[in-house]
Amino acid sequence: MKKILILVAVIAGLLACESVNYVPPVTQQMAAAKKGRRVDVATLREGRTLLVHRCIECHTLPPLWHYSIEDWPEIVDSMSHRASLKPAERNAVVAYIIAVRATEQ
Amino acid sequence: MIQTGSIKNLVLPILLLIWPTTAAHAGARHFTYIYEAVTSAPGSVDVENWVTWSRTTNPQRVDEVDFRHEFEFGITDKFQASVYVADWLYAANAEHSGFTYSDSAVELIYNLTNPVVDPLGLAIYEEIRAGDRVFELESKVIAQKDLGPLILAYNATLEAIWEGTGLQDRQGEFQQALGASYEISQRVSVGVEMLHEFVFPEWRDNQKIRNFFIGPNVSFRHRNWFVTATALAQATDTPDEADFQMRTIFGIGF
Repeated sequence: MKKILILVAVIAGLLACESVNYVPPVTQQMAAAKKGRRVDVATLREGRTLLVHRCIECHTLPPLWHYSIEDWPEIVDSMSHRASLKPAERNAVVAYIIAVRATEQ
Repeated sequence: MIQTGSIKNLVLPILLLIWPTTAAHAGARHFTYIYEAVTSAPGSVDVENWVTWSRTTNPQRVDEVDFRHEFEFGITDKFQASVYVADWLYAANAEHSGFTYSDSAVELIYNLTNPVVDPLGLAIYEEIRAGDRVFELESKVIAQKDLGPLILAYNATLEAIWEGTGLQDRQGEFQQALGASYEISQRVSVGVEMLHEFVFPEWRDNQKIRNFFIGPNVSFRHRNWFVTATALAQATDTPDEADFQMRTIFGIGF
């Protein structure tokens, strides 16, 4: 019984930690959320894929709400060469992050 | 038998063949004895220099420093290739000391799933190593999970080694490695690594050789370079195995 409780506690802990990896799947709502103009779903999906593949080559992903919408483009710019992001890929990553943040607000 | 000279002659053409026209940087390592499931971005290039110092005292004291010079290439989003241009070593015991070229190798890693969005990040790994007196095949399954700032990684490795004059000595080894790395800031991670080895001389388990190593690691990254170091102590008491070993990997993109 004790072992089961420990296992349940470990799984619960991992699931709680899992919520830190909040990189939500792309929705139609996100595509419409960017102020001023609509971004297509395919671009946002590409941005999410690049975010979870390229950025974790060097570091873990910070929660997207750690930084403001205004700060994110500069943050991505500063590491886009290191992450081998082409300009269109960089734009897709920024678009995804801003869409997530805009949907939260 | 593998001819070392022919391998050396092949290294430069291979490097030139797969060298991308727009070189960019590959990623940083959080561990030195454990591989992570994430592969390098397509078109990226990294040079990594490994230095491993080990001290063995049973049955006699031997200090050894191993060096590795590795070029790592991102081929596709899920596939990377590396060339170990040269593995060489300096060894010193009571009677003699000196430098020796050991081998060169090719390493291939294919990523299957992502450690952030999938339940478990997985990759498969194959390495072919050849030198004057050694030929080795090494296969791994790499598992990784990112939980916020915490990276958990596990490797299961099977090695088949032929060594000695005429490559007549055979040995098998199964290794499990488990590590955790916690990112305490954007540039610094600290963690722990553990190795559990099962050695099978002549592919037999008569001697029941088991080795267990454990120790801390630290990783620092900045711009286009990183350095990661791990110190491991042997928790078992196996003769001819290092009591203490320390590995440092310095990587730079150019």
